[in-house]
Order: sequence, then C-alpha cells, then structure tokens
Amino acid sequence: MTSVAGDAGTHDKNGVVESYLDFPGGRVHVLAGGAGAPVLFLHGASGAGRWHEFHGRLAERFEVFAPDLPGFGGSDELAAVEDMDDLLYHCLDLIDRLGLDRPHVVGASFGGWLAAELAVRAPHAIGSLVLLGPVGLRLPAHPVADLFRMTPGQRAAALFHDVSKAAVLFSAEPGIDATLAAYRDLTAFARFAWSPFMNNPKLERRLPRITAPTRVVWASDDAVVPIAHGHRYAELIPRAELTVTPDCGHAMCFERPRESAEAVAAFLVAGAALNGAVR
Amino acid sequence: MKFVFFHLMPYPWLPDDFDEKYPSPALTFPNTYFDREVGNRLYHRYLDELEHAERLGFDGIAVNEHHQTAYGLMPSPNIMAAALARRTERAQIMVLGNAIGIRGNPLRVAEEIAMLDHLSDGRIVSGFVRGIGWEYFAHSVNPTRSRDRFNEAHDLIIKAWTADELFQWTSPNYEYRYVNLWPRPLQTPHPPIYIPGSGSTETMKWVAKHRYTYMSVYAPTRVVGRWFDGYRRAAAELGYVPAPDKIAFSVPIYVAETDEQAHREARQHVEWVFHKGLKRNRELSFPPGFLTQSSLRGLLMAGMKAHHELTYQELLAEGYVVVGSPDSVTARLRELHEELGFGQIIGLFVLGGMTHEQATTSMELFASQVMPALRPLGVADQVAGVS
Repeated sequence: MTSVAGDAGTHDKNGVVESYLDFPGGRVHVLAGGAGAPVLFLHGASGAGRWHEFHGRLAERFEVFAPDLPGFGGSDELAAVEDMDDLLYHCLDLIDRLGLDRPHVVGASFGGWLAAELAVRAPHAIGSLVLLGPVGLRLPAHPVADLFRMTPGQRAAALFHDVSKAAVLFSAEPGIDATLAAYRDLTAFARFAWSPFMNNPKLERRLPRITAPTRVVWASDDAVVPIAHGHRYAELIPRAELTVTPDCGHAMCFERPRESAEAVAAFLVAGAALNGAVR
Repeated sequence: MKFVFFHLMPYPWLPDDFDEKYPSPALTFPNTYFDREVGNRLYHRYLDELEHAERLGFDGIAVNEHHQTAYGLMPSPNIMAAALARRTERAQIMVLGNAIGIRGNPLRVAEEIAMLDHLSDGRIVSGFVRGIGWEYFAHSVNPTRSRDRFNEAHDLIIKAWTADELFQWTSPNYEYRYVNLWPRPLQTPHPPIYIPGSGSTETMKWVAKHRYTYMSVYAPTRVVGRWFDGYRRAAAELGYVPAPDKIAFSVPIYVAETDEQAHREARQHVEWVFHKGLKRNRELSFPPGFLTQSSLRGLLMAGMKAHHELTYQELLAEGYVVVGSPDSVTARLRELHEELGFGQIIGLFVLGGMTHEQATTSMELFASQVMPALRPLGVADQVAGVS
C-alpha cells in the first residue's frame, strides 16, 4: 500500500488499516482493507466512520478503500468543499492521494450520486461503476423522501424494510455524543444535498458520458428513492444494467450486507477482466 | 420600563384530532384548515388590536415573520408594518424581525425597512432573525448556510443604509454590483436593531459588539437569566454597561379582574400557544447545521422540555408566562425584573383562540393598572443593582 498503509496507518485485528490524509483545512479519515483490485467505496448519509460487515465481505475479494467524505464520520469539514461540484474534485484528489489507478467505484445512496458525478466528470479515471440506490436525479414525478424532516425512528423505518435490522445505524436510546455525531453527519449531508434536494438537475443529461461498465442495484422495497430513478440511471448510462435486491430497504449495505456485497463483487469480477482496473 | 405589544397573529382553529394527527401546525399542516373568510376577518381584527395598543399607551407595537404555519399568519412582517404605519402616530413599529437568513434577496429588506421608516415618520425598529428551523424547509434554503447568510445579509443591509456612495457587495452568499439605496432610511444612522437570543454565546457577543437590543425568546426564567447575564458580560468585556432598554424580556401575559378569573380564562389559550402553536419535533426546530455542535450540546445538556411538554403549572412557575389580576401580574413582573434585569417588556397578549373582547380587556387592565406601577422600573439607576 502507498500513502494509506504508510507509517500513519494502524492495523486492527481484522487487518483493517485506519489512516488520515491531510487536505487543506483538515484531515480525511480512511479505512482500508483486503487485497485484490482496488475499490473506492463512497458511503451514503449514514454509517460513515466505521468498517461494516459490507466492507468486510467486499474486502474478501478486493482491496477496499472507504474514506469518510468531508464533515462525515472521522473526517474534518473542509471549508473548500461546499457543494457536489467541490466534492467530486475532492474525490478525484482522493483517488490520486490514495495512489489508485482507475479503481472500481462503488457508491451507496448519496455516495452513489457522487460516484455517478465522478464517472461523468472523469470517465477514464475509474474502472467499473456500481451504484447502490443512488439519489442525484431530478425526477419530479418520483420524489425522494425527505429524510431531513424525519425523526430518527421515522428515518429508521424509511431506510429499512425490516426495521429490526436498523440497530446497526440507529440506537434506541442514543446518548448525547451519539446524537451530536448523527447531527454532524446529517449536517454534512445537508451541505451537499439540501438544495437542490438530493439532485443535480444537470446530471441526467450528462450520464451518457459514462464509459465505465456500470451496474445499478436497487432494493426491492426502497421507500426513500423510487426505483424509477434506477430505471432512469440504467437507461441513460451506456450499457448499464439494473438488478434488484429482494426483500430489502434503501439502506442495502446495512440491511443485506452479504447480498449487497455479492451483487457488487460478481459484477466487478467480470468488469475487472473487461476493464483492467489496476493500482 | 418600556412596554411593547407584540402580536403573533395565530390562526387558532385547529381540528379536534390535531394533537394525535399532526406533528406541528407548521410546514405540512394542511392549509385547507385555513378558512378564507375567517382568516380575512382575523387580519383586520389583529391589526385593530395593534392599533388599539397604541391608544392604550404601549410604547411599541410589534409584528414578526413566520412561514407556512397556523402559529402566525405573517409571512411578510413588513406588509403588516406598512398597514400600521399610517394608521398610528406615536408608537414605535417594531418588525421583530425580518428573517434575513432565509431571504433570497436581503437588499430588498434594506429597501422595505427604509420605506417603512418614511411611512412611519421614523418609528421603525428593525429586528433581524434567522427564522425558525422549519422555515428552511419551507423556503428551501440550506440551513447549513444559515449563520453565514444571516451575518452577510446583516452587514449588507447596514452598509446599504449608511453608505454615502454607491458600492459593490461581494460575499460568499451574495453578490451585488450596484448598491445605491433609494430611499435612505429617515432615522440616522439607521433604525434601531433588535436581535433575539436563545443561548448562543456568539450571538450575545455579536449583539453586544453592535450595541443592539437583545431580546429573549420563550424560556424558563433561570435560562433567560443566563442569556441576559451573558449579554451583560459580553458588554462588560467590551467596556460598557448596556442601557436597561437594550435588554427586552418577551413573555405572554394575561390580566383579568381576579387571579381566579384570569387563570380560568387564560389557561386553554396559553396551552394553545405552547401545546399546539409551538408544537414541533427537534428536526423541524433544528434542521442540520442550524445549530453548531456546541450549541446543540448545550441544549441537550440543559435537558429543557419541549414547549409542548410543559404543563400550565410549569409554564407559570418557570416564568414562561404571566397570568393573574393586575396586582398579581404587577408583582410577578416586578419579581422577574428583580431577577433578570430588563428595560423592556415585549408582551404577547392575544393568545390562542381568545376573543377580541378578552384580549382587549386584558390589554386595558395591563395598560391602566400594571404599566403605571412598573413604569419607573428598568431605568439606569435601578438596574445597577441587578447586573
């Protein structure tokens, strides 16, 4: 490994490496693990800062890099990253700083939107692309649920088809620190996604620029982002395919980590051969 | 002591199943519950009450801004101030305030307040507020930019009012190539500024630095005391003692002939304000980024109940509201003045669904019996012992 595995990184017992990268205005927290073709995982609104089961399963086949986006999880809020446009340049910098050459990019929800923006802006900088229930499109007939307005309980019920699995993201009785951390993540999310609400009106017409082999994955019971968004993504990204994860809510990586990792891995294995992503 | 008659202009007629069915009267509460005819009559009644307050001797009559809610029917406080400007002659007309955090074009606020200053012959007081959290949903303004937008808009407006030559304005959220205000306001250098505070230390320091009037929002006495002390401390750090009327205490008030009558008549309307009007969850109050991490921590640590969780007895005991006979109300406000130190009372007299007759009787008793008794309080020599 290069900068991440360098002297600054610390290994835990599962071989997950935690490190920080310096950027103007603060540090970015990165978790990395596994071996194989490189995968950059871009998180959604919730769950940053931790190495989840989903990461672990993906790391059985790939070298997974999971940075916390600015203001989320363990990363500082970088003043110079104030909207989606800044954020995608930040990610291009991150790819360079991690020493990755055409990594596969996998993004969930908000991170899926970011992944699509990356693939539009720099089509040749990434290997394959997997979008897990991405927001990002403006489809007025198919509105995205307003997570900002929901109480934590309502948010859990909206994100999970089987709400009993929501404990991984939502504690029943959060303490003050947990409440503050959740508010901080939500604040980072709102910086990029409050208005326009979870979309870039220009993204739709730019999607045909994408050259990476692309899979769009949707949860069968997504109550946050209607599957019409998935169809639109798959329709506009050249040669993209849409698959559906059954019996699952929007928070796919948390509700069905095994199946979601499998849906990603199966596609990337095929895509890597086609596309030759390397470090 | 200076007395301000503040109106919220509520739409009080909520459905019977409101408590069970709706998280708030704001944002998503269906506007089909707004009856056009009833609403029409309310506006005229409420403006009559504001005009009546001037006749009763209140020093100021005040309006504010709220959006998409039955809690208050004034999306544009400046329109209400305009309606009052030529129907009144003496009282200050206080806009408390314009929610400059959510305005797309803050220069328009500078223009409108300047116009109002002329229509009112220099009686305008200009409050600035960030707006309540839900209003960032209602007007699709990013709450993570709220503080910056407020600060930039404030600086722009003050400069627009005071600059003697055309200037160009560039700040992260606003860009104007030509700022050249016509008309300039009548008052010099500009109308007085009022800013509400709700605990933020940064706000106390900022208000003290500008020597603006600091006003409380509805909270327990012990908490309001910390805010006022913080403001006085911030002023002391800058080397001055704020004049008493730079501290304004906001409180709902109801007066009747006897304590028993007052409580009997006021209770359901006080409860309307806190249990229905102010009902909302934390997400609507504090959308992401609206509070800093330290402000949110302070709020969580303080463990204050939400407004709609407070009983009538708690509201009275903790100093959220003042209800009683003229003597009791006088005594209670005297006590609060002793404890808090303030030179203005911003009273909310029209509560919930009380009738016009109830409201005017309460106002008249307050004006004829409470105001004279409290008038000598809150002038410079009296406050010295408090601060």
